[in-house]
Amino acid sequence: MTKEAEHTIEVEKLTKRYGDLLAVNGISFTVRKGEVFAFLGPNGAGKTTTVEIIETIRTPTSGKVSLFGMDVTKKKRKIVRRIGVLPQGFSSFDRITVRETIQYHSRLFNCRNTDIDELIELANLKDKSKEQFKNLSGGLKQRLGIAIALVNNPEVVFLDEPTTGLDPRARREVWDVLLGLKKKGKTVFLTTHYMEEAELLADTVAIISRGHIVAMGSPGELIEKNANYLALTLQSVDEKVFEIVQKMGFEPVNANHNNIKVRVQHPDDVQKVLNAIKDAGASFLSLDVRKPNLEEVFLKLTGAAFREDLAREVAQ
Amino acid sequence: MSPRVIGANLIVSIKSFYREKTAVFFRIAFPVILILVFGTIFMNQDNVRFDFYVQDLDGTNSSAELVKTLEHNEKFKITKIDPVIDATQYARDKKLNLVVVIPKDYESSLIKRVKRKDLNASVTITYIYDPSSTSVATKMQILNSFFAEINQKMSGKPSFITPAEVSILNRKYRFIEFFVPGIIAMTVMTASLFGAVNVNAELRQKGVIKKLSTTPITHTDWILSNVMYQFLLSVISTISILLVSYAVFDASLQLNFWLPVFVVLDVFAFVGIGMILTCVAKEAESAAAAANAIMFPMMFLSGTFFPVEMMPGFLQKFSRILPLYYVNEGLRASMIFVDNMIALRCSVIIGIFAAVVFVLGMMTTKWEEG
Repeated sequence: MTKEAEHTIEVEKLTKRYGDLLAVNGISFTVRKGEVFAFLGPNGAGKTTTVEIIETIRTPTSGKVSLFGMDVTKKKRKIVRRIGVLPQGFSSFDRITVRETIQYHSRLFNCRNTDIDELIELANLKDKSKEQFKNLSGGLKQRLGIAIALVNNPEVVFLDEPTTGLDPRARREVWDVLLGLKKKGKTVFLTTHYMEEAELLADTVAIISRGHIVAMGSPGELIEKNANYLALTLQSVDEKVFEIVQKMGFEPVNANHNNIKVRVQHPDDVQKVLNAIKDAGASFLSLDVRKPNLEEVFLKLTGAAFREDLAREVAQ
Repeated sequence: MSPRVIGANLIVSIKSFYREKTAVFFRIAFPVILILVFGTIFMNQDNVRFDFYVQDLDGTNSSAELVKTLEHNEKFKITKIDPVIDATQYARDKKLNLVVVIPKDYESSLIKRVKRKDLNASVTITYIYDPSSTSVATKMQILNSFFAEINQKMSGKPSFITPAEVSILNRKYRFIEFFVPGIIAMTVMTASLFGAVNVNAELRQKGVIKKLSTTPITHTDWILSNVMYQFLLSVISTISILLVSYAVFDASLQLNFWLPVFVVLDVFAFVGIGMILTCVAKEAESAAAAANAIMFPMMFLSGTFFPVEMMPGFLQKFSRILPLYYVNEGLRASMIFVDNMIALRCSVIIGIFAAVVFVLGMMTTKWEEG
């Protein structure tokens, strides 16, 4: 009998090399039972490589990866029965209907007691159960993929970029399904490059950039640690305002249409800025004060790497 | 091996098949159309050069006269063969498709008929022919009308010259009977080859294989279910080919246990080749192109549409290294000549080939992404 580990997933100094490319560079992390763990990073950061090594479909170059305390390179047969996977760019047999596809996968797992209707319900596919795979939209395909990932009632569900390429509405519909999973207490390993997605769903977020984990923690912790400020935006300001704020020792940034953005450390600072503007007899049309979100943390942490990637994508 | 998993795969494959109308067409209607088209074309083939051999057993002035008349006919190109040799054996050895034999009593019968007005005097001119030849039927038809003309000139009933046909093969068979085993072998080959390429390259490219590799299905189960699916479809297309050839062309073929044996070996051999191809050519398109490059020479050079003997010598040698040649030969040996020895020999050759490529194919096909 294999000893059941304290953590469902344990990754230690994992490295994966494709020829000259170091896709994953010595990363370590653990995933607790019942948590939603999000791997957040730009394209090409090493998210899919990592998740596919854990899913047993790729082999690591070095390092140790265990699932339920079992080495993924040695216990593939046992592990796959206990996990559910939505691979990146999930696809299935074109001419097979939604219901038949779920049935097929449940047979692969030799599951006689899979409740197909419940899965169809969970993935919100009731109206589409007789539709062939090729006729489904991107969002429906992903939802079917999630339903399939659950046929064996897995202990861990891996979702590799479940909403990439979906329109905002379809994305929200997938999120609804994922929130349902979270409610059921499933351990979920999610990879995404959408900050909102990680912020909405994840208990723990690991930000990965160029094969390294650059930060890890709950979304709140990450924001607290990496972006502990308030963003104040003043709209349609007088020309004088920029100078006034600058003289107070802040670093205002001129945005478009006479808007000014200022980062302040404390809520009192907001009052101070407003008072100073009032005292100088200057005016503005409206203001907005906001705590930074994960996006700002992400951009800050993945900064240089992300900007370079973006420049490359634009160039292409 | 899990029967439940294999069963699940078979169900998915069959459903995908009958919902894809073009697949149904190419798998069932296409070979049937080939049979109809080629069967009809070769049945009424019109050959411009009517060359054949003549053996004059009579060796008299009258028989020489007849040979000369034949020679003078512009349609014919005649080569004489020595009367002392066995014409049937000679035709077999030299692969001649028609030898016309003038009988020993030709002159004496002619004298009886013409001078003594004996209406019962007649001769039988024998056509020793190879029924697998596509042009021989036309040659014999033209010869028949040639002799009919002579009969007409001599007038009176019964006719003086009666043609008789002797096949150089142990059993008489027609082009359609030659053609049907070839089409069965070809259809099974094409479908197995492209089936394997499709399953392994296209589904991999689409990501279906990646998903399957995260389920308990084993590689062996997956390949076995695909082989079984190909076999099942091969049975269906073979049956439809046979039905059409019986119904439309009244083909006469022997059906025995060799037919399923060769169909199975054909499936294994070409699924194996398909798997190797998809390993060599990673993209679905290039794998399909490679499959075409394998399929076409196999289709035309291994004796599917016409006998290998019709090709130049170096191509005949080449055809003997093509696996489909042995399926064709084996199927013909069993379905036409009921020659178990040749069928056995061919099945051993194709069996060894199938085993090697199939094992290689299984070894080279990997699900893991590396």
